[in-house]
Formats: sequence, structure tokens, C-alpha cells
Amino acid sequence: MTVATTETQAPLKGFVGEVLGALGSAVTEVHQCGDRRGIARIDPARTVEVAGKMLAMEGSRLGTCTGIDVRDGIDVLYHWCFEPAGVVVTLKALAARPELAIDSIANVVLAGNWIEREMHDLLGATFRNHPDMRRLILDDSWPEGVYPLRKDFDQVADRPPLPPNMSPPDVGAEERRAEP
Amino acid sequence: MALKTWALRKSLWVYHVNAGACNNCDIEVLDLLTPRFDIERFGMILVGSPRHADVLAVTGTCTRQAMPRLQEVYMQTAKPCVVLAIGSCALHQGIFAEGYHMGAKVDEAIKAVDPNAIIMYVPGCSPKPEAMIAAAVKAMELLKTL
Amino acid sequence: MDIGWMVLTFLAAGLGSLLLGLLLRGVDRKVTARVQWRVGPPLYQAAVDVLKLMGKENLMPVTARGTGFLLAPVIALASTAVAATILWRALVLPDATFLGDLIVVVYLLVIPALMIILGASASGNPHASVGAARELKLLLSYELPLFLVLLLAVARGGWTFQLGKLINAQQQTPVLYSISGVLGFLIAIICVQAKLGLVPFDLAEAECELMSGVYVEYSGSSLAMFLMTRAMLLALMPLLLIIVFWGGLGSSWLGMLAFLGKYLLLVVLVTLIRNTNPRLRIDQTVRLFWFYLTPAAIVAVILALVGISKGIPWL
Repeated sequence: MTVATTETQAPLKGFVGEVLGALGSAVTEVHQCGDRRGIARIDPARTVEVAGKMLAMEGSRLGTCTGIDVRDGIDVLYHWCFEPAGVVVTLKALAARPELAIDSIANVVLAGNWIEREMHDLLGATFRNHPDMRRLILDDSWPEGVYPLRKDFDQVADRPPLPPNMSPPDVGAEERRAEP
Repeated sequence: MALKTWALRKSLWVYHVNAGACNNCDIEVLDLLTPRFDIERFGMILVGSPRHADVLAVTGTCTRQAMPRLQEVYMQTAKPCVVLAIGSCALHQGIFAEGYHMGAKVDEAIKAVDPNAIIMYVPGCSPKPEAMIAAAVKAMELLKTL
Repeated sequence: MDIGWMVLTFLAAGLGSLLLGLLLRGVDRKVTARVQWRVGPPLYQAAVDVLKLMGKENLMPVTARGTGFLLAPVIALASTAVAATILWRALVLPDATFLGDLIVVVYLLVIPALMIILGASASGNPHASVGAARELKLLLSYELPLFLVLLLAVARGGWTFQLGKLINAQQQTPVLYSISGVLGFLIAIICVQAKLGLVPFDLAEAECELMSGVYVEYSGSSLAMFLMTRAMLLALMPLLLIIVFWGGLGSSWLGMLAFLGKYLLLVVLVTLIRNTNPRLRIDQTVRLFWFYLTPAAIVAVILALVGISKGIPWL
């Protein structure tokens, strides 16, 4: 998402300000810096470093990650929660078109493993260096390369056809074939 | 024959299949066993295996992943049996009906393996336990005509 | 006694136990429902269940071994029916029993559990195999204290293994009216709970966890036969306990009324234990039977032997 040049940078203050300040130059712009909520955009090439720094902070945990299909690519949002303070800081990283690729944080933050698999399944974002990129949510008969939560996918019209074998597997077929 | 259907009506054993439901209908099915509604006074109990069941209580839209499994469970149920399609999702209506994950409708999926299946529909999102008891009573009335 | 009378006794005792057992299962479900503040099914519900199951189709999975799968319920039902014949005849005609029939009855009452294991293993289903393994461990654990307390009753009855002589020996004072008798009776009730496959020891047929464990692949008439076996066991086990511990059927009308009261008391006790306890795990069950109940049974037997040798009737 390109930022309009008229959007002003929010000043850093308070607990959220400290958190965002500790990330240094990885933060390219700050959208909101309130008492309990912070939203900032980070450099997509430095996601692993930022994830490491956020995890090292006291009381932090990765709440969840969100993927949004926007005009420029796929926006990956990392929502970090700070427990005793009750603060949520959201960091946005854009995986730009046409590659739609971003570095995976799963090696640093174990909680990100399944969330990145889900984002890959449903949106088609590629996570480089992910240790275990298997299908997580979509069913076994879903074709590769079709991403259902993209904006250009019609939920009814673009549905892949049902698998041809609608009846259940034949249990014991091998045993019956093996017997003379 | 009349004795057989009388015994079947008086002792319907229910097996609950969740074919991709959001669990609201499942909670309402569980409500039926509590002292307030108590379907055990009709002789209906929840059994642990589809082979023991007379009623398959199917909740949820039949997702693509669940469809062959639902058909397998139906084939494993000893006939005669009644399928209760519970909730708007099972009737292919409601908020999840146009999702990408939808397989066939519950009645189409079951009729694909058994065209003579007896299917009763319980509308609602989620249907009240009274509606499910009404459906059970209607199933018993229907079994009288078999 | 000619063959006609034998067949008649067998049919009468078998069918009678079956109907009584189904009625008692209905009583059990009604009491359970009342304890849980519900209305509950009518008393004839268990009979209707069995009737309905007879009318459904009997499915056999492809992975099952047909012979063991189909024979197991039949043998279980048959052995329970023979045990019913022996027990009811011993109750009604104590003088017409034969030597060693206590051992025969105990042996016959083990067969249903063995047939459950056989049938479950022949099902070809992993849930059933887990259930069969648990049932086997359960069998090994509860039979030991049960034998020991039966030995206690035999000792007090004058060292006779004949049911009729045990009943006659208890006409003055039943085995129950002594410290070792009470201890043995309590242990026997817990073992009976396990034998009937009721909570807290129903882990072989754990509905919630194991999808009905041992019975998962059974349907139709085979399942009906297993349910009939369980109903008959519910009718027979209190009877065995009363014969061995509590004096059987008394000689007068008052005695017979007392017998009915004792019988119902035992059935309701089994039901109430079922309703107020959670299910035990298999390791907890085996530990309970081997390390707590078996030493208690041994203590009871020693007390009984001391009482007999020293001539103290209340020990």
C-alpha cells in the first residue's frame, strides 16, 4: 500500500513508542501510536530481524498474523501482544507483486509456522525459508495454485470441481485381490 | 412388521456427525440430553458408533473434505436409518453456503450413495432443541408408514 | 431327570433371566435418570432396544474375521443361559444341585468376557483392539478378589463347593453376618461392578472415548445378543451374591419377601455406584484390584479361617 505523502507520521510516545523506537530504522512509517495500540509499517526485507527483536522484548508474544490482498501485493500483518500492559502492536510488511514473497519468521518465532502455512494456502503468499510448507487448511482434493481468498476469486463461480470419486475408498480391496 | 416399526420408533439411537459445522448446532444437539429437554424419555440415546445408530444427526455444510467421509459413515450405518439434516447449513442456506469450501448439499451427498435415503430437514441457525424434538417426533410418525 | 424337563428348565431359566435382566436394566436407567433430575425412559425400554436391534441388518465389516466375529455373541449368550439355569435351580431346589457347581457357574460367567475379547479382536478395528486389550486387563484384575471372597464363603459354609449345601449351611446365620463376611461382601460388590462392565470400570466400552470400544463394529442381531448377555448378567450376579453370602431363598414366606428385598437392594446399589462415580483408567483399575482389594480379600479369608478354627461365629 503506497502511503499518500500527505499522511502525517504519528509521533512516538509511551510504551508503544518505546517498542517502535527499539526497532529503529526497520520501521518505515508509523500510522498509530496510542496508549494501547500501535500500527506501523516495516521494511519487508527485514522481517526476520524485526521478529527477533520483538520476541526478545519482555512480555511479548505473537498473537496472530493476517494477510490482506491489496493492489500492490499481499500485506502481511504481524500482531504482537504485550501481556501485562495489554498492548497490541501491529507491524505491516508488504509482499510486493509480482513475486508475492517475503522472508518467513517461522525459524525465529515458532508460533508463525502454521499461520504462514495458512496464508500460503489461502492467499498464495510465498514465505522464503519456511521449514515445513505443507497444505494446512484446504482439503486434499483442492488443486494447487488456486487461492480462494484472493479478491479475483469468485466464491461460487470459481470453485474447483468436486473430485470425480465421490464414493468412499474401497477398504479391503487389496486383500480381496490378493486372495486366489 | 408392525412390531418392528413400533420397536424402531420407541428406541431411536442417535449418532452425531459433524460435517464441517461451526459447532452451534452441535451444542444444541447436546442440549437435548440435558434434564431440561431429555430425549431419553423417548428412548433416544447418543451412541458412539455409526453401526449402532438409527438416526444420523448431521450438522454443518458438507465440506469438500467431509463429503466422502459423510458418505462412508452413512454406508456404515445399519439400515433402516433416518438422516436428520440439522441447521441452515445442512440445507445449503445460511451464511456459509456460498463459501469456497462447500462440497455438495447434505442431501445430495447422501442420495449419491443411496437414492432411497430418508432425510429430514431441521431448519434454523441454530435450531432450537424444541425444533429438533419436533423433527424426531415427525421421524417417528414417518417410520410408522414404512 | 429326563431330557424334557431339562430343556424346559433351561428355557424357563434362560428366558426368565433375560426378561428379568431387561426389566432390571430399565430400572437402572430410570433410577439413573431420576438421580440426574430427568424423567427417563419407561421401564420396558431395554426390551424395546433389543427388539429393535433384532430387526436391523447385521453388518460385518470387510476386515473382520467372520467366524469369531459372529460366533462370539452366540457363545456368550449360551454360556450365560446355562449359568442362569444352574443358579436358579440351586436357588429354588437347593437339594438338587451337584458337587462343584459353584466352580462351573464361576467358569461359565467368565466366558462372556472372553467372548467380548474374541469378538472385539475379530472386528478388525483399532478402537476394538484397544477395547479388547483393556477388557483383558480388567478380566485379569477383578477375577482374583472375586475368587478369594468366594473361597471365604466356601470356608464358612463348611468347605463345600456345592451351591445347595452352601445355602443349607446358611439357614441359621448367613455368611454376611460376620466381619469377614461383610468385608468379603463389599469386595464382591466392587468385583461385580467390574464384571458387569459398569462405571467406574466400563473402560472397555467407553462410549465417549473409544466409540463404544469393544462393540464398535457390531450391529443388528449380534449386538442384540451382546446386550441380552449383559442384561442376563445383571440379573445373575446379585443372585450369585445372595446365594453365596446371604442365605439364598428363605424357607418361609417372610424369607422369600426378604430375598426380593435383598435382590432389589443389590441392583439399586449397583446403579447408584454407577451414577456417582467417574470412570477409572486402566492402570488405576488394576492397581485398585491387585494392590487394595486382593490384600483385603486375603485378610478377610484369614479372618474367616481364624473364626472357624477358634469357633468364633462373628469373625
